[in-house]
Amino acid sequence: MKLYEYIIRRLILLVFVLLAVSVLIFYLTRGFERGFAPWAPYINEKMTAEQIEEVIKAHGFDRPLHEQYFYWFRDVFNGEWGLTGTWGLGLPANRVFFNRFPRTVELAVFATILTISIGIPLGIISAVKNNKLPDHISRIIALAGYSTPSYWFGFLLQLVFFYYFSLWGLPNLPSSGAPSIATRITGLPILDGLLTGNLGFVWNEFVHLILPSISLSFISLGFLARIVRASMLEVLRQDYITMARSKGLRERVVIYRHALKNALIPAVTLTGIFFASLLGGAMITEYVFSWPGVGQAALLAVGQGDSNFILLYSLVFATIIVLANLAVDVAYAFLDPRIKY
Amino acid sequence: MSDKRNAKDTVLEIKNLKVNFHTYRGEVKALNGVDLKLCCKEVLALVGESGCGKSVTVQTLIGLLPENASVLEGEIILDGDNLINKTKEEMRILRTHDLAIVFQDPMTFLNPVLTIGTQLEEVVTMDKDLLVEAIAIEKPKQKLDFTDLIKMDDSATEPKNLKISRRETKRIAKRLCAAILSLVKLPDQERILKQYPFELSGGMRQRAMIAMALARRPSIFIADEITTALDVTIQAQILHLLKELRDKIDASTLMITHDLSVAAETADRIAVMYGGNVVEVASSVVLFRRPFHPYAQMLLKAIPNIENPTSRLEAIPGTVPEMIDPPPGCRFHPRCKYAMDACTKKRPRLKEVEKGHEVACYLY
Amino acid sequence: MQKDSEVRRGEWEARLADIKYMIHLFRKNPLVMTGTIISLFFIIVALLANFIVDPRLATTEGYTGGSYPFERKYMWSANHPIVWGPDIALHDGPEFFYLGTDGWGRDLLSMIILALPVDLYNAFIIVVVAALLGTTLGALAGYAGGIFDEAVLRITDVFFAFPGLVLALVFASMFGRSIETLQFAIILVWWPPYVRLMRGQVLSEKEKPYVEALKALGAGHLRVLFRHVMLNAIYPILVQATMDLGGVILTFSALMFLGFSPSKSLPELGNLAADGYNAIFSAPWVILFSGLTMLIISLAFNLVGDGLRDVLDPRLRR
Repeated sequence: MKLYEYIIRRLILLVFVLLAVSVLIFYLTRGFERGFAPWAPYINEKMTAEQIEEVIKAHGFDRPLHEQYFYWFRDVFNGEWGLTGTWGLGLPANRVFFNRFPRTVELAVFATILTISIGIPLGIISAVKNNKLPDHISRIIALAGYSTPSYWFGFLLQLVFFYYFSLWGLPNLPSSGAPSIATRITGLPILDGLLTGNLGFVWNEFVHLILPSISLSFISLGFLARIVRASMLEVLRQDYITMARSKGLRERVVIYRHALKNALIPAVTLTGIFFASLLGGAMITEYVFSWPGVGQAALLAVGQGDSNFILLYSLVFATIIVLANLAVDVAYAFLDPRIKY
Repeated sequence: MSDKRNAKDTVLEIKNLKVNFHTYRGEVKALNGVDLKLCCKEVLALVGESGCGKSVTVQTLIGLLPENASVLEGEIILDGDNLINKTKEEMRILRTHDLAIVFQDPMTFLNPVLTIGTQLEEVVTMDKDLLVEAIAIEKPKQKLDFTDLIKMDDSATEPKNLKISRRETKRIAKRLCAAILSLVKLPDQERILKQYPFELSGGMRQRAMIAMALARRPSIFIADEITTALDVTIQAQILHLLKELRDKIDASTLMITHDLSVAAETADRIAVMYGGNVVEVASSVVLFRRPFHPYAQMLLKAIPNIENPTSRLEAIPGTVPEMIDPPPGCRFHPRCKYAMDACTKKRPRLKEVEKGHEVACYLY
Repeated sequence: MQKDSEVRRGEWEARLADIKYMIHLFRKNPLVMTGTIISLFFIIVALLANFIVDPRLATTEGYTGGSYPFERKYMWSANHPIVWGPDIALHDGPEFFYLGTDGWGRDLLSMIILALPVDLYNAFIIVVVAALLGTTLGALAGYAGGIFDEAVLRITDVFFAFPGLVLALVFASMFGRSIETLQFAIILVWWPPYVRLMRGQVLSEKEKPYVEALKALGAGHLRVLFRHVMLNAIYPILVQATMDLGGVILTFSALMFLGFSPSKSLPELGNLAADGYNAIFSAPWVILFSGLTMLIISLAFNLVGDGLRDVLDPRLRR
């Protein structure tokens, strides 16, 4: 299969996935009485009963559910994702989403960097010292990472680095929230701060990012370390490693030049998918640290049964995941000279 | 390895080598006292069926035994040093220069994601002497001849200035790699250096592997079943290459094979292994004409004879011995038609029955 | 006929030797043994929880007998003194709260013990149902191939592209707060990986010569699939399920924590943690110990699963 054929197939799949996701979420959020009335954000107290009736008619909220879906679909096609509930101050869902998205991107980037820089060495140590003490220690760290309730770990970090540090008079890290944005150029707060030379803001933003990033990456570095360990062990059993050793190469060279490149290929997949899922927002971490990203918003929206935002959020997330999978597959072709699509 | 040697000098001697593997099912007694001598500049073939300990002998020799193996006793003497007592680091340094090995399957033994150039260069750049000598003899606009460098390895003793800049290293390494590839008769070296192993044919890959071994200018060249994974026609080409290289590479060759015809074609002497022992050593002509050990005799009868195609092939009765609980005494005795009482009690050691013909059997 | 039984006995002997060898490998690894012992310990405590601790201690009203002779009020809001260790002011007897008390003044250790059966039982049910559903679908899809395979695959694609937690949350918030809703919501998110895993296994098993041999002998499709192929492909599923036990406990309690619990006073680890969150700076032990318990249980299951994977991986043998 040619590479472009493969990409086209995946893009067709994306359309299918998006349709299925939207139908499923639409029925789940609109099909039950529990959500808030979808027309609530469109009306105010001053409106008369007839005006409200008109609003409801205009958006098709009085139609049967399957027809409502087409109304929603029509609006989305015109770029209207509907209004959010009270949690989002009744602003358009897409505006709320894209205002918050840069913050999530920031968090995802920081957490991914941390994950890679700890997870990969941990996995390598584990494989090279297989079944010896370093392996056991790294195994415990890795497994503890994904055995930890994420919110719990977040609280512990807050408790120690914010509460106790300030209690003891130590320099403490902020426990939650993010500084308000001064200027907007690219949308990414840190990048904007650097561009405008507002270093105070950059530092402030960075300090606020530390605890959430640690919390997020601790959970995922375990997965990465285990994958790297497994593929490293697999590679170290290969004949070409014996060959490299028989050449009299130093063990360091054997591992870093001959084994690592082969072993990292599966790790790339995992990192790609992990990054993508973080872009969808680490809901619980954002919630715990009151980080104003899309994950926190999604949690708020679910709490109010806000179908407009949940739909937008799920669709963007699904797109990101499918595209990330595609990107990872394409990256394979570049990393491994043997793979040809 | 600077001193000149006589052809009959022993370069490498393995004495009573015993190696065990620890496995879940018990101790696998893989080597049960191997004795072997490799003479200077000769080609010695180590022959035997699979599981007889050929590969373990080689792994012990190059210091790359698996972790669950341990050397119980014995010595491997190279240049007056016992390799068994050397540390891992000392063995590694030895492998960079004195001991070079070529493995069986060029597909799996070459790293699939590194180019041939990278894999060859890393060998070349480790040897500073080689780089310095190459710079000394290189002439602009003329290809380097690697055989000159092999000769220099034996003679040069004077201390050298070892400082070469990184750029210079890269440049001379490129030229050296091309020179080595042309030594193993690979055409279009520049292109091959940039290619990945999967882009080459089996024969070319095996040549590249041989090149990686020769690049170290080894004093002992080990060929571990190097023709087994190849097509018959390619096998013939590789064997032909080995014969051509014999005089050029200035090394003693230890050839591991289960194929008697390969051994007969290339080796000066043949050592036959059975069940973790060397049971017979003789020059290849003598061994084929007059094998002494019952196992060797039966082995030779199991080869089809072109001159007498109607003769029946004889199979060796019984099976390869269980190495966890091997038969006591001579490990061949359960399958041997001449077995006597003594065979079940004590293992016979190699002894010289004729000049240059040793056998481990109580019959002689 | 006799031949057949002999073959079968040989098969069993080989399998038994294999299992013995695995147990040997398993026992050689100290971490895996630790994980096994801890998991067994928690399972036993969970089974005996109602005998170790009087379950009536969990009630927040009506019950005044036994060791808590006072009416319960929610302490964090009622500004009660917070206790950890011996407390005489609040209670008559020389009561010792090893892990402190929770927001209702209940002994946290007792609440954690009472929470174990709730969490373990739910995790077990969820994993078993998700695994059964996923493996059966995956096996059928892999074995049958064609349109059915394609359809199942596309459905799992949709689920993989979903933000898992959002789906579970939406589902749970639409169907109301009950344990059954939570179970269903988590199963909904958790079955697709099993489909992929089993399908991959079946596809690789299907190509092996023994399947062809069985078909040549006239064995029926279902028999080949369930008796032979699935039996050989089951190991990775076991590993996945063991490790998922830990993951599901975390997810289940996270949903509880986020407020999908049917009752705030239900002794359940996520619920207890949510309670502790309300007084995180003044009574940090509640969230500390409830979370720590989750961590230890989940870690124990993960250690077992991880060890199982090493043991069952045929490439790591020898």
